[in-house]
Amino acid sequence: MKTRIVVSSFILLGALCLMAGGTWAKEVRGVTDTEVKIGCLVDLSGPAKYGGPPIAQAFKDCVAWVNDNGGINGRKINLVVEDNGIMPNTTMKAARKIILKDGVFAIGFNLGSAGASAILPLCEENEVVLMPHGANKKFFYPGNKWVFVPHTVQYSMACRAVEYILEKNPKARIGMIYQDDGFGREGLEGARAAAKFMKSKLVKEAPYKMGTMDFTPHMNAMKEANVDTIVLWTYLPQSASVIKQKVKMGWDVTLISNNTTGVPPLFALVGENADGYMLVTPFAPVHTDVPGVKRIKEINKKYGDPKKTLDNPMYPDYLYLAGWGYIEAMVEGLKKAGRDLTPDSLVKGLESIRDYNMGGLCPNITFGPKRHVSSFSSLVLRADGKAKRFNIIDGFKEPKTPQ
Amino acid sequence: MGGNFKVSYREDMALFQTLWVKVWLSILILLLLLAPYLLSRYQLSILIEMGIAVIGALGLNLLTGYTGQISLGHGAFLAIGAYTSGLLTGKLGLPFFLSLPLSGLMAAGLGLIVGIPSLRLKGLYLALGTLAFGFIVEYILFHWDLTQGDMGMAVKRARLGDFVIKTEKAYFYFVMIFAAGAAICAKNLVRSKIGRCFVAIRDRDIAAEAMGIPLAKYKIMAFGISAFYGGIAGCLMAHYQRWIVPGSFDISLSIAYIAMIILGGLGTILGSVLGAILITGIPHWITYLTDVFKESYPALSGLIVDFKLGIFGLIIVLTLLFEPQGLFGIYRRVRLYWKTWPYKY
Repeated sequence: MKTRIVVSSFILLGALCLMAGGTWAKEVRGVTDTEVKIGCLVDLSGPAKYGGPPIAQAFKDCVAWVNDNGGINGRKINLVVEDNGIMPNTTMKAARKIILKDGVFAIGFNLGSAGASAILPLCEENEVVLMPHGANKKFFYPGNKWVFVPHTVQYSMACRAVEYILEKNPKARIGMIYQDDGFGREGLEGARAAAKFMKSKLVKEAPYKMGTMDFTPHMNAMKEANVDTIVLWTYLPQSASVIKQKVKMGWDVTLISNNTTGVPPLFALVGENADGYMLVTPFAPVHTDVPGVKRIKEINKKYGDPKKTLDNPMYPDYLYLAGWGYIEAMVEGLKKAGRDLTPDSLVKGLESIRDYNMGGLCPNITFGPKRHVSSFSSLVLRADGKAKRFNIIDGFKEPKTPQ
Repeated sequence: MGGNFKVSYREDMALFQTLWVKVWLSILILLLLLAPYLLSRYQLSILIEMGIAVIGALGLNLLTGYTGQISLGHGAFLAIGAYTSGLLTGKLGLPFFLSLPLSGLMAAGLGLIVGIPSLRLKGLYLALGTLAFGFIVEYILFHWDLTQGDMGMAVKRARLGDFVIKTEKAYFYFVMIFAAGAAICAKNLVRSKIGRCFVAIRDRDIAAEAMGIPLAKYKIMAFGISAFYGGIAGCLMAHYQRWIVPGSFDISLSIAYIAMIILGGLGTILGSVLGAILITGIPHWITYLTDVFKESYPALSGLIVDFKLGIFGLIIVLTLLFEPQGLFGIYRRVRLYWKTWPYKY
């Protein structure tokens, strides 16, 4: 009798310890047995609100597809989309909300470099993996444990643009018009570095303040400097203004720009005058017949609203594709992190991604413990004014300039 | 008659004039002490934001509400405070307890300089002058290598000796002590000779000068004090966020502070507090509404996001239309109602 009581007591004690162990196991914010919460910060209001919906749509489509196929390691993704209003202070509020209130496990996207910088300490403090878009080189160089950039950054794209021009014509006289902020200056740095690497230089640099729409002085300065190619680190409205000014001046100067301007609305703004306008981008045009684009079109057809999105000729498709690059990187990282999901295991999971096949949609994704940027490669596209679309004229390549 | 008779100067000069004020303040203090134990980290972060805004709004109300000098550059003083403390603690390794007053003093120093044109400028012209000052500060922060441009710079955690103010709970108490201190100082200031001079200048500067009030001294002083409050608020904001970017201190921040004091009540301490709470709270309230309708009425939720700024503006316009004296006007009416109850007058 006494022995039975002692054995029963030990069993009971063991069971209690196991139960307590379960209770004491550290809870991971945003992770339960059945779901993992992922945040997506995009601008649904404010000056860049056109950018948010396509990215959010890509996230929604991908999450619906992943969940429909059983989720990741037995967990469904619970997507939390929040408006970050693009500005640093509004981004801070949105990030605080999704981390502290909604309890997301990781932030799969944040639009706006300054805003992403502003929320870095919050992410570090709460061990939140952050994937910033429009990312600056400083996000991965020297690097931060919690920041991953699944995107070719402006520095690399600017290098690629200048190298492409100088490879075609080593004697090209290159000028640059750039927005006087982090985005534009990062492009300027890349262009300068590439020109120097190719034993050339930028013969004229003309900054402009955000919101500028009259480029007469900038273009006159370029003409005075006798440039034959202008690198534009501008956004869509400014690129359209420069093209109009070029036509007005009757000047046959080559223009090459960045990914943000490679959207169909450019044709609505300048029509056939866009013909010949070049840009560097890590995303293939949506009409391209590559497996990666085909796949997301099918998913969009099944889970999204193609009429309003990819089938709409005026849809800013590159943003939708960019969204895919991010959420696919996050999904792959979650898969590799395994069932025992913690912030550290996600970091390790992401760092173990090697050459993840994006099917030509964008460069394949590779991260590593010392490399938190997925790629340095980009395409060169050229606008076809009559067909109102961009075509690839040079495939994915990394710049030769050291990155 | 529900009056409050004072039979001595001492009673008239008392900081808290009635028993009820003391009771309500005690309840408020008790609630603030308990808040970290009752609220989530997110809710505390909103209260911290409000506390910092209260300090900034008190400063602006001293300048605009009490002295009648309009300023559209208040955000710039917050920026100066934030960057001063960020640089002093980050680059020079100064302790936080020194950088905090120095950030206020730096802002005050520049505030004194900005105040000089106020001797010649009035109304819209002064508004434009202060607006230009805001743009100059923003331009410098964008282009000065030391401040690292629009990508911003990291700021160390606030630390008092060996104690690092790390958690929301600790920072909440810290900010609330400063907010309460700022309110008490402002309240004291406005009932002093300086405060009466401010009000005299606001009501009629020529008459004030005729009565012997040196306009130059008090106008510049008002700018200095207001900027000091702004600098302290900026410093507290910087060490809470731990990353500062020039974009956080643009014209919209200055306008938000103007909205705080107008909606709260110009020329009142309580109005500054209420206005700061309202203006800081509206975006969070809109976000809360968006969340509530997200599942059940996604279209309505989307509409709220679309018209976020419109809703914000509408609340301000409606408040100004129906309560031109601001939230303090409502408070005064409610107080009068209960004082005279059950009579109407």
